[in-house]
Amino acid sequence: MGREVSESCVDNLMIEMVSAYCNRFYSTKPELAARRIEAIGYQVGHQLSERYTMERPRFSDHLEAIKFICKDFWAELFKKQIDNLKTNHRGTFVLQDNRFQWLTRMSIDPSPANADLSQDSSGETAENRAVQITSMHLYFPCGIIRGALSNLGIPCAVSVDTSNLPASGSFVVRIKA
Amino acid sequence: MIVCIAVVGHQNNPLYLQSFTEADDALKLHHIVHCSLDVIDERVNNPKKTGSTLNETYLGLLYPTENYKVYGYLTNTKVKFILVTTHLDVRDADVRNFFRRFHSAYVDAVSNPFHVPGKKITSQTFAERVSTIVKSFGLSSAV
Repeated sequence: MGREVSESCVDNLMIEMVSAYCNRFYSTKPELAARRIEAIGYQVGHQLSERYTMERPRFSDHLEAIKFICKDFWAELFKKQIDNLKTNHRGTFVLQDNRFQWLTRMSIDPSPANADLSQDSSGETAENRAVQITSMHLYFPCGIIRGALSNLGIPCAVSVDTSNLPASGSFVVRIKA
Repeated sequence: MIVCIAVVGHQNNPLYLQSFTEADDALKLHHIVHCSLDVIDERVNNPKKTGSTLNETYLGLLYPTENYKVYGYLTNTKVKFILVTTHLDVRDADVRNFFRRFHSAYVDAVSNPFHVPGKKITSQTFAERVSTIVKSFGLSSAV
């Protein structure tokens, strides 16, 4: 009974959503755009976790729920699992995906609008801008993870570790005890 | 036959309550559903270590009253489904089947982007699907 949508449609929808919120709706306030995108992701994660936990027995602890997110949930969304899961056993988990699907098509071109800046500062601002732009695209999956975990009864805060963009996306989950 | 089904959220807030009798005792049914929430909490917090039922979603017969039997089902997202029936010889497999279809209808209703999580389910489609499932429950166990 399920209907199918092509993956490229979903990819384009994500790109357009980020671009619309950043450039048109909240062009002067990128933090608000980020919060709105994350809130949309929260609701989507909430509903998706209902659907994907349907046939499964209940989870006995937080680690099992996180493992569910890394394996089954991520596989349903992106057809692959999280590549690396690290924890400090005190409520913080790092989920690392080495080829995050929505970032694979991302290319950062140095914009010619920076022509009037000096050479050294244009180098680092280009890199900062690259990090900023790619991290905008990661707010939605952060929201998805946060929504899914909240629906499983685990309040948490999810952020992005930007040290290795765009090669791999790392999500840092901090459980609020 | 099935008298009443209820969906209760994880903060014990009612999300959907539907009774299928023409009699006027809707209040009594609501009371029964409310009491069964306590039984569910008890079952979840003091699991019977002997059985393998530690993490199952289907909770089975919660408690029998004088005319009714009450069955419970707890999802992973702490949403509880409660079924009140007057059937005397209802089979476990039938109830499990019922809950499986009901869960599937619930998931579809909640995936509606216009549904606010935590508020009551107001979808007409959900109500129709549920009444279909309820009707076919009566038929299958009569066979």
